[in-house]
Amino acid sequence: MLDQAFEPLKKYDYGTPISELQGIEDAVVAAHDDAALRQDLEQHLIASLESDISRDAKDYVCRKLAQVGSPAAVPTLSKLVSTENAHLARHALERIPGPEAAAVLTTAAVELTGKLKIGAIASVGARGEASGVATLAGLLKDGDPAVARSAAMSLGLIGGVEAAAALQPALQAGSGDKSLVIDALLECAESLLRSGQTAEAKAIYASLAGDQQPRLVRLAATRGLLACGAQAEA
Amino acid sequence: MTQPSKGHSSPTTDAKAAGGNGGANRRQFLKAAGAAAISTPLIITSSALGSADRPAASDRIVMGGIGIGNMGRGDQGAFLGRNDVQYVAVSDVREGRREESKTRIDGRYQNKDCQTYNDFRELLARPDIDAVHVATPDHWHALIVIAACRNGKDVYCQKPETLTLREGPMMIAAARRYGRVVSGGSQRVLGDYRSTVDPVWAGELGTLRSINVNVGPLPQLCNLPEEEMVEKIDWNMWLGPAPWGPYNSKRCSGSYSINGASWRSFFDYSGGGMTDWGAHHFGGATFICDVRGLQPISVDYNDTAEGKWLEYHYPNGVTITHNKPHTGNMQVTGTPGEKIAPKPVPMYKGWGGIYGDFIECVKTRETPFRDIERAVNTCVVCHLGNIAYRLRRSLKWDAVAQQFIGDDEANRMVDRGRREPWQL
Repeated sequence: MLDQAFEPLKKYDYGTPISELQGIEDAVVAAHDDAALRQDLEQHLIASLESDISRDAKDYVCRKLAQVGSPAAVPTLSKLVSTENAHLARHALERIPGPEAAAVLTTAAVELTGKLKIGAIASVGARGEASGVATLAGLLKDGDPAVARSAAMSLGLIGGVEAAAALQPALQAGSGDKSLVIDALLECAESLLRSGQTAEAKAIYASLAGDQQPRLVRLAATRGLLACGAQAEA
Repeated sequence: MTQPSKGHSSPTTDAKAAGGNGGANRRQFLKAAGAAAISTPLIITSSALGSADRPAASDRIVMGGIGIGNMGRGDQGAFLGRNDVQYVAVSDVREGRREESKTRIDGRYQNKDCQTYNDFRELLARPDIDAVHVATPDHWHALIVIAACRNGKDVYCQKPETLTLREGPMMIAAARRYGRVVSGGSQRVLGDYRSTVDPVWAGELGTLRSINVNVGPLPQLCNLPEEEMVEKIDWNMWLGPAPWGPYNSKRCSGSYSINGASWRSFFDYSGGGMTDWGAHHFGGATFICDVRGLQPISVDYNDTAEGKWLEYHYPNGVTITHNKPHTGNMQVTGTPGEKIAPKPVPMYKGWGGIYGDFIECVKTRETPFRDIERAVNTCVVCHLGNIAYRLRRSLKWDAVAQQFIGDDEANRMVDRGRREPWQL
C-alpha cells in the first residue's frame, strides 16, 4: 500500500497537484497508533530522500520526517544540511528527539559557512539544546558578526545558568553591537526566574542595570529586578 | 531583485542599533534644538509648533509602516489621517508599493520627507521612530514584532499575529521585556459582534455555556510552478523565514482569497481561513465568552456523517465549537431563565477605533484593547484547530508549558524551522 502511495513522489515537482500525495498524508495520520506502519513509513521516506527526486519532493519528505522521523532518519537528513534542502532538513532535525539529531546540527554549526552555518546555529537554539552551549559559546567569538549574533540568540533560547555564563564575557569583549547579547542575557534571566533561580536571575539583571547601558535595557533590567523581588516575597 | 532605496545605516541581524533605545530620539532632538535657539536664531515652522487641532511636533507619535499591501494601505491611511501622528517611513519588498506609499505620505504632509526601505531592519534602526504598524504576510509577523520591541518601538500588528504556537509567547515576552505597547490588529473583535456581546455581558443570557464559530478553510501546501516576475519584488526577502519556493503571483498575492489565489491560502505563510478570518471570529467568540485571558485545555475532534467539527474546552467550563453542524456563526447557548450580574463592556481608549486605541496607549502606556497577549490567545485557538484537523484527532493542551499533553507528533507542530539566516 505504501509503495503505491509513494509512487507519485518520483515525478513530484513544482506544479504537480498536491492531492497526488494524499496517500502519504493519510499514512502519516494512520501511523500515530500503528508502530509497524510508522516504521515502514519512515523507511519509505528515507529511501525516497536517498533517491533521485526533485528538490520540491525532498522538501516534502523532510516535512513528513519532521512529523514522524526517528533517529533512524538522521544519517540521511544529515547529508542535506549543506544542500538546497538544508532548511527543511533542519526543520526535521530540530524535531527528531535524541542526541543523534543534536549532534548533526551542532557539528554543522561548526563546520558549515555563511547562511547555512547560521541556519544550523539557529536550529541548535530552536531545539533548546543544552549540549550545544559550549559550541555556541565558541561561536560568540566568530569573526563574522552575523554568526556571533546568531550564537547569542540561540544561547538566549536555550537559557539557564550555563548559557548566561557563556554570554557574559561577550558583553565585555570588543566594541561591536551588543544588543543581541543583551537580549539573550535578558532571556536567560527570564528562564532562570521561571525556574525559581531568583538569585542567578537577579545577578544578570543587576549587571545590565547600570548607567552605561541604553535606557531601554536599563528599564528592562529594572523590571527584571522588581520581578525578582516580587518572586522572593511570594 | 531590488536594492534598499535609502540607506540610513547598515542593517544588522536584528537592527537594534544602540541609538534605538539609548540614543537621541526625535523629541530629545527637538528639545535640544529648542535649547539651541536661545543663543542661535532658529526658524521654527508653524507645523512644528502645532495648532489647536495639531499637536506640536514634539508631541506627535512618529510612525513607520512595514508591509504596505491591502491591509497595510488601510492601516497606513488610518494613522496618516491622525494629527497626533507624524508618518515618516515605509518598508516593503515591492518597489512599486514603496514608491506609491511615499507619494501618498509626502502628499499628506506637502514635503518630500518620507523615507523608503526594502529591508525593515533599516527602518527599525531609526531612533526617531516611536511606533510601527506591521501588515506583512503572517510568516513575517513574529520576527518583525520581536525585532521592533528590541529596538524600542511600539507595534500595531495586523491579524493573525502568529503563524505558529511557539511564536506567541516569544512575542509577548519581547513586548513585556522592553515595556512595549503591542496591539493586535483585529478591528472586528469589538466592532462586529456587539449585538451578541451586549446581551451576554449584560447578563441577559445567564451563564454562557457555548458559542459556535463557522470559519475556514485550512491552509494548503503551496506547490505552484515558477512564473515570470513582472513586478519589482525582492523575492528572497518576501519569502524570508519561509521555505524557498519559486516566484508565482498567486503565492505572494495579498488578495483576500483563501482558496488558492493568495498567500493567505498557503501553509508556509498563513493558517488559511482558519486563522485569517478565525482571528476575527474566534477573537469575537472569546470576547463574548470573556475568555480572552485564557487558552483552551483541550480540543475534541469530531468526524461525523454531517462533517468534521471541533469542540474547544476552557478551564472555566466554557465551550467554543467550530463548524458544528446546524449551528450558526456566533450562535450562543446561555442558561435559560437565568440572569447574572452585568459587567461593563471594555471599550477602546482614545478616539478613532482600534487605531486610536493603539495611539492613545502609546501615549499613556496603558494596555490596548487588543493587547498582544489577548491576540495570541485567539491565535492559539486557530492553531490548535488547524493541528487537530491535520492530525484528525483530539488534543489536550497545557497552556502553561505551551505543549500538547501526551502527543509527540502534535508537539512537533508547535513551531517550524526558519529558513536561514532568519531566527526568532
